[in-house]
Amino acid sequence: MRIPRPGYLARKLAGVAATLFAVITFNFLLFRILPGDPIRLLARAGNLSPEAIDRLRQAFGLDQSLPVQYVLYLRNLATGELGTSLTYRRPVVQILAERMENTLILLAAATVIVVVLGVLFGVIAAARRGTRLDSGTVLTSLIFWSLPTFWVGLIFVFLLGVYFPAFPISGMTTPGATYATPFDAFWDVGRHLVLPTLTLALVDVGQFILITRSSLVDVLTEDYMLTAKAKGLSRRRVIWRHGVPNAMLPIVTATALYVSLIVGGTIQVETVFSYPGMGRLMYDAVLRRDYPVLEASFLLFAIVVIFANFASDLLYRVLDPRVRNA
Amino acid sequence: MTRTMGPRIAAIAAAAVFVAAACSSSATPAPGSAAPGSPAASAAASALASALASAPAASGPAASAAGPSQATLRVGWGSEPDTMNPLTTYSTEATEVLQLIYDKLIGYSTDLEPQPELAAAWETAPDGLSTTYHLRPGATWQDGQPVTSEDVAYTFKTIKDDSLGAYAQWLGDYVGADTPDPQTVVLKYAKPQAFDPALAIPILPKHIWSTMDAKAIQTFTNDQPVGSGPFKLAEWKQGETVTLERNDAFWGKPAVPARIIYILYGSEDVAAQALKNGDVDVLTEVPPTVWDGIVGATNVKAVQLPSFSFHHIGFNVSEDPGSKGNPLLKDPVIRQALSAAVDRNQLVQIALAGKGTPGSTLVPAGLGEWHLDVPTDKLLDANPEKAKQLLDAAGYTDRNGDGVRESADGKPLEFRLIAIESTGVDVRAAQLFRDAAAAVGIKLDLATLDENTLGSTVYNTTDPDWDIFVWGWDSAVHDPDYMLGVPLCSQIGGNNDVFYCDETYDALYAQQATTLDPVARKALVDQMQQMFYDAAPYIVMWYQDKLQAYRTDTWTGWQDVPGGIVFNFTRDNYLNVTPGT
Repeated sequence: MRIPRPGYLARKLAGVAATLFAVITFNFLLFRILPGDPIRLLARAGNLSPEAIDRLRQAFGLDQSLPVQYVLYLRNLATGELGTSLTYRRPVVQILAERMENTLILLAAATVIVVVLGVLFGVIAAARRGTRLDSGTVLTSLIFWSLPTFWVGLIFVFLLGVYFPAFPISGMTTPGATYATPFDAFWDVGRHLVLPTLTLALVDVGQFILITRSSLVDVLTEDYMLTAKAKGLSRRRVIWRHGVPNAMLPIVTATALYVSLIVGGTIQVETVFSYPGMGRLMYDAVLRRDYPVLEASFLLFAIVVIFANFASDLLYRVLDPRVRNA
Repeated sequence: MTRTMGPRIAAIAAAAVFVAAACSSSATPAPGSAAPGSPAASAAASALASALASAPAASGPAASAAGPSQATLRVGWGSEPDTMNPLTTYSTEATEVLQLIYDKLIGYSTDLEPQPELAAAWETAPDGLSTTYHLRPGATWQDGQPVTSEDVAYTFKTIKDDSLGAYAQWLGDYVGADTPDPQTVVLKYAKPQAFDPALAIPILPKHIWSTMDAKAIQTFTNDQPVGSGPFKLAEWKQGETVTLERNDAFWGKPAVPARIIYILYGSEDVAAQALKNGDVDVLTEVPPTVWDGIVGATNVKAVQLPSFSFHHIGFNVSEDPGSKGNPLLKDPVIRQALSAAVDRNQLVQIALAGKGTPGSTLVPAGLGEWHLDVPTDKLLDANPEKAKQLLDAAGYTDRNGDGVRESADGKPLEFRLIAIESTGVDVRAAQLFRDAAAAVGIKLDLATLDENTLGSTVYNTTDPDWDIFVWGWDSAVHDPDYMLGVPLCSQIGGNNDVFYCDETYDALYAQQATTLDPVARKALVDQMQQMFYDAAPYIVMWYQDKLQAYRTDTWTGWQDVPGGIVFNFTRDNYLNVTPGT
């Protein structure tokens, strides 16, 4: 394996920087052309006098002209200043950090389960292509993939939260609980994570099974697979050693996209299970026209997507010599 | 929720698709506000001053047999507070929490009668221009400082001078305070106050707030609120829970619950399950869609109580030359015809699943005797024949045979109708309204918008480009004053959502606001209701009920109060419920 050439890296990074700048600008403009005025919304808190409204506008810099706001925005961004939430009146950075952490906890487990099980079942199905096991796996994957996430969540709520009350059905911790040891806290959060994680895993594993399967099925028809078999390699070795690595590219891409969900959160699961993550934060921010929170979330989302793609590009080159030499 | 001020756009949450509209039930931009107040309905007919001056000094809020417990009261809601700053909040949730942390001078009993709070007693001067309040001896802020008359004077002055928050609207006539001693404060007004602002305004500690100017207050998060009330803020985990702890240094009888935890639910169905499972003790709002599932549940009681709210159809009657509304709606006959055409009972039964009463005037029936029963001969409801007569007589007939009436100069009676997408009850009502209008030859084109867009569209004072909308109001106080004040000329640019402006109406409003005699005031209030009803800039569709539910095994002693057992103008239910066995 070769380390990517510096020239390539520099070109890629320049592309990343340009994309980022475009996203930042677009992001800034997008919220200014949306209908709805956040100050109007806040001012509806009773009959605010015009002076009080002006004071609000000033406090949030909305009294400046658009270009001035843009320059201020860029300058603040450069210093990591993302502004103050119009709703909570707290620094956006703090709010995002809390919510990101929660979503990260939720998605870390789900991502591992989804990718590992997805690849495993995908490989099994591809290896037994055409059998009943294969068609059964494909059908099941399609069904689960098509299920509405909130519906699956509710089914789990009723099954495992109500009829066989094994797990908590809402929140991230037991309200009001005090913990004797950090382990108790860990256990409490863990129990709360079971149902949301199960829901995510069940709905999302299907796409990884299908991607892995179809990618591997293509690879298995290649001549070099025949060669490998002809060399007398075991079936297992043929598939895992020669097949799977060559089928990895689409899986890497899918994983990169899935990881970027961490920023978007998983709004449906977070809603059903009342989980305090990024998805709900963004949803509420839209309803309340909380520009600073929305802008920062979108920006973060864009950055993660851009870097996840950048990382997967680099991984491609590591995994596939053809990309490397192209 | 009740006390929102402002078009509380999302309203009763109704069937709103629970995932998509997860929090819409009360994530309304609807400004929380003040609390309560009214020299109680006419039952408490004697004037405020004499009726209340005799109130027992220094007794705690309504009596309860139980002493303090170690138990926690868990309350489930669908939306969380925006901030702990009482002067900038616009959410009902924050108002609810803050009324437990901060005291007002006068509070409400579970009968919604005024009762002593931070003021143990008070008397209004004979000319009605000032009221003297005697503060609780020994009342302290939660940081240990004593509560004094200076704090009261500071709070009123700051709100008035800097026109801060929703409370400023009650201080239009406020001129200043005298503080003869630390226990006595005299609040002075330019005119008598039929609604005593002391019922609405939370008293803030001067030693903390006076270090900030108006701009600093506007961005103050107040993460560690210091009040003088029965509870302290212990923790706010945003997106999850708000935890209050009993204030053991409270001036009154200590609250029974040691803690109150408000738990945020993203899904109404899950919240209902949590109540049935016993994970939560009270739900502040039960949507009609899950009502039936809760009613029969073991150890759960669901309550349906009258509220201080209505939903209405509003017409753009702006006289502003910039208005882009259809000018035909400025003719009252067309509005009256539409009012006659629609069947309010049908709206309640179909759109609201029967959870309310048909509407009429802009003072909700929940406000008791303040509400006017419109005389039968003036009633416009479920009478399409009358609608047709009105339109025919005014020369609006179908001249080209397309089923839609035209005015004399050929303009079709065709209007745009907008409603909030996520408020299911409003959308269904709008559909029924559209059909009722079509039956009398008026065409309505229904479009749905998100709540913020609808709000900005309607409240566009420079060139309002809309004809008819649907949404609702919650009274910010337990008094007709708030609702009556919505369609004032002076509220154009403020609450006035239809740009109605009538000098006579405004004059009557000013008069009732300064009339202390409840009987005389009631006559004025009735006259205003009739006048606004006849002019028909609103079609008040219904007064929806407040649907709440609680467990009967964990806490007992809930008083059914009109407006809700919680999220109401009284906080006494929180203080007096006792742990079950």
